[in-house]
Amino acid sequence: MTDPYRVLGVANTADDEAIRAAYLAAIRACPPERDRLHFERVRAAYESIATERDRWAHALFDVAAPTVQEVLEIVSADMRPGCPDERRLYRLLGGK
Amino acid sequence: MSRKKRPSKASAAPPVVKKAVLPDQAEAALGASRYREAIEHYKELLKQERRPAWIEGLAAAYAGRAAQLAQKGMVKEASALWRTRADMCGTPLIEGPYVGWLLEAGEGEQALRLLAGATQKLSRDAQTQLETQVAAAVLVAPDSALTGLAADSPLLRHRAAAQAALAAFARGDDAAMAEHVKVIPFSSPYRDLRALLKAFSLYRTDASQAAVALTRVPADGPFEPLAAVLRVCVLPGEAWLASLHSLNGEGRALVLDIKGWPEERRPLVLELARLSDGPASAAMLYDLLARHRSTLPADTAAQLCRRLLPHAPERLKTYSANFGALSAAEKDHILALAAELKRDPEQAEDHWLNLVERLRADPAQRARAALVLRRLANERSRYDPGGPPDEDALAWLAQSLELDPEDRATHLTLIRALRVRSEPKELRKCLEAALARFPDDANVLLEAVETALASGAFKKAATLAKRVLALDPINPRVRTVVGHAHLSHARKQIAGRNPVSARRELDEAAQWLRTNADHGSIKLLRGIIDERGEEGDALLREGLAEMSCALVGSFHLVLEASHTRHDPKALLRRAGIERNRVPAASEVVALAHALNTARVGDKAVQIALDLLGDELRGASAAQFAESDQLVVCEALHRHNKRALVRRYAEAALQRWPARPVFVYLRASAAYGANPWRMPRRELLALDRALEVAQASGDQRTVLRLDDLLAAATGHIGLPGEDDDDYLDGLPGDDAGTVLEMMLAALGEDAFLAMVRKQLGKPLFDEMRRDFGGNRKQFIRALIGLLADIGPPPGLGDTGAYADPQPIVPLKPPPRRKRRTAPTDTQKDLFDD
Repeated sequence: MTDPYRVLGVANTADDEAIRAAYLAAIRACPPERDRLHFERVRAAYESIATERDRWAHALFDVAAPTVQEVLEIVSADMRPGCPDERRLYRLLGGK
Repeated sequence: MSRKKRPSKASAAPPVVKKAVLPDQAEAALGASRYREAIEHYKELLKQERRPAWIEGLAAAYAGRAAQLAQKGMVKEASALWRTRADMCGTPLIEGPYVGWLLEAGEGEQALRLLAGATQKLSRDAQTQLETQVAAAVLVAPDSALTGLAADSPLLRHRAAAQAALAAFARGDDAAMAEHVKVIPFSSPYRDLRALLKAFSLYRTDASQAAVALTRVPADGPFEPLAAVLRVCVLPGEAWLASLHSLNGEGRALVLDIKGWPEERRPLVLELARLSDGPASAAMLYDLLARHRSTLPADTAAQLCRRLLPHAPERLKTYSANFGALSAAEKDHILALAAELKRDPEQAEDHWLNLVERLRADPAQRARAALVLRRLANERSRYDPGGPPDEDALAWLAQSLELDPEDRATHLTLIRALRVRSEPKELRKCLEAALARFPDDANVLLEAVETALASGAFKKAATLAKRVLALDPINPRVRTVVGHAHLSHARKQIAGRNPVSARRELDEAAQWLRTNADHGSIKLLRGIIDERGEEGDALLREGLAEMSCALVGSFHLVLEASHTRHDPKALLRRAGIERNRVPAASEVVALAHALNTARVGDKAVQIALDLLGDELRGASAAQFAESDQLVVCEALHRHNKRALVRRYAEAALQRWPARPVFVYLRASAAYGANPWRMPRRELLALDRALEVAQASGDQRTVLRLDDLLAAATGHIGLPGEDDDDYLDGLPGDDAGTVLEMMLAALGEDAFLAMVRKQLGKPLFDEMRRDFGGNRKQFIRALIGLLADIGPPPGLGDTGAYADPQPIVPLKPPPRRKRRTAPTDTQKDLFDD
């Protein structure tokens, strides 16, 4: 994921305080000894948007293109696991 | 038009006479899995006689062929063949894989009819296995298809509960589903469905738990299509997207049902799945999002497409059509990033500067404009990292501070750049602005200290430095900078015979400096000031004691003597330095490290090395480690002490013969100043060393050897660049005989005078110094040299002797093409 706001799970309008809180919560939930790569991703995300100046610079100079995975995550962000169609279940198992 | 009827091939061909088939042939074909051939053979045999063995053979051949077809996915054909087998061989239809193939072919009801009529013929185990196999078919079959099943069959007894559980799952009623599932016992043909529905229920809350539960469901069971759907659902990240293709249409739709994808977004996700199979370009992703924008939440597609535009700037027009017009500033922003991605810095600069103009008009956007200007300045310096600060870059930094004066880092960058460019007016202005804005910032104050020192304002520098230390008491840089400035000033005062001021400066320096070496220097300078007293001599000795060893101490004392215009020999005597002592190897290595920090070209260093020459020559035979010997050689080479380098390199070559780096250092020391004089044997040695260095990957030495060979062979003017014959045609040994004769005829003094005039005084004197007064050896070396290079024109000639023509070096030749391109991976010890 290339969008630091999404990595930290904050809105694009979040301020310094909200971003720091999200960063601390993220590293508490996943400390470096548990998942080094994830921790580094979180830290890089925080460093890129920690201050207002950082956020301006990110908006101006970031060229990371969204990946298929990121697009998928974004377009499925508002979805929750649903219920299957019963007739489809029957058809899948060989019913007519 | 009439057409002649062609005789058919069949009618034209002679009647086929089938050969009699032997049982061995049929068995061989069956054994070799040539089932079609085996079937034909057994059929022929059975026409002769219905032997039980041949009937069994035919049944086995049919079974083998049917299995082959099923493996290819031709389950309908396999089922048909199985029925033929039953007809021809009288085997029961229900045995073997036939029911499975029927289910796979979607002929579940036919399987159930078969089951209804034939189960009583099967063993109990086979019956249970068959019931499990058809459980899914029974579950979804219409009631009318189940009339043949025994009323007490578990397939019927548990069917209602299984159906109710499935319906509850479809409603999302987990509690009801759990109740219905409880009714299904572990021995039921529906037991896999029970485990699967529990796993699906878990998926709604915790996908990883569902994945664990799924491992308890056996693969290829009767409910495998449902299990496959859950296996895709629980895959992490985007892996599920890539696995969608492994399912059929119903399975894919069910995955999207379970993941909660609304119908209108399903085409988008299926296209994304196709894109995830290979590398997706930004333009492809852009087009996909633009096409499906109406199915996405407000602005989502616009924001994603906006991020893709720098990678697909050709979509700018369609963006405006799809999502509304972009402002001029936004367009410049996108085009600037696109130009950077295309590595077109000029175009990028144009667009960035346009953007700056547009942003600076809006007071709320000025800080952003400043950021852009800083980026431009940074990019300029990135394209020329070693060069002086660029004028445009300085102007952009200054403009950025006008727009956003709060950026301390930019103040510091600008101050440093202006100091490098020696622009005192601008520098002072910029420094004052920074100090006014950040009066208590240690870094800004430190820049002020350095600027004050650069302009000789020591008092001001000291005052500012004290402010730095008040803020940052352990700042080592400010202490060193100020302390060394005081030391430097003290030296000038001593040289000007102004001891009072010098002592004051040394007192100041002592307050700032902390290292032993610096304190040693202070004591040496104090000792130099106290020229006449015992106390001064004691100070000199104390100063030397602060240094790492006597040799390094002597070196520093001679340096200080030169800097303060004192007689170094007298100071060495006063300090009680024992001359002509052979220093230990460790002392020479310590001196080499000191030499590495000394400025190249400093006359004081040359004086010190000349004065310590005897000691260094004496130590050349010491047992150094190879790396230490190289450190010493390189340090001396750095300060151009050729005779010493030659001596140390030759000593090294005695211990490590033909080591390329030492071969280079020896040759460079001996002939580096006059490479055209290099004798054939040295050229051969260099060429061998070059091969060894190339073989060992020592690129640095390869380049150095290559350059030296180029200089040597270029001056000689021998054939082309890569011509290995350049060693041919050099002077022979006859010249040596002639020179010996001249020496005998003229006598040593006249011979030396003649050679001196021919070689020129500097080279002659340098060589003589190298031999330290050993006249015999010196003459032998001169004869060797002249024999190698050939006597200069007119040597020995009376006229030439009367009016000698010194050897004038030819102009340097064009450089030879490098044999090996420099690489990033160099093995040499001193590579940066």
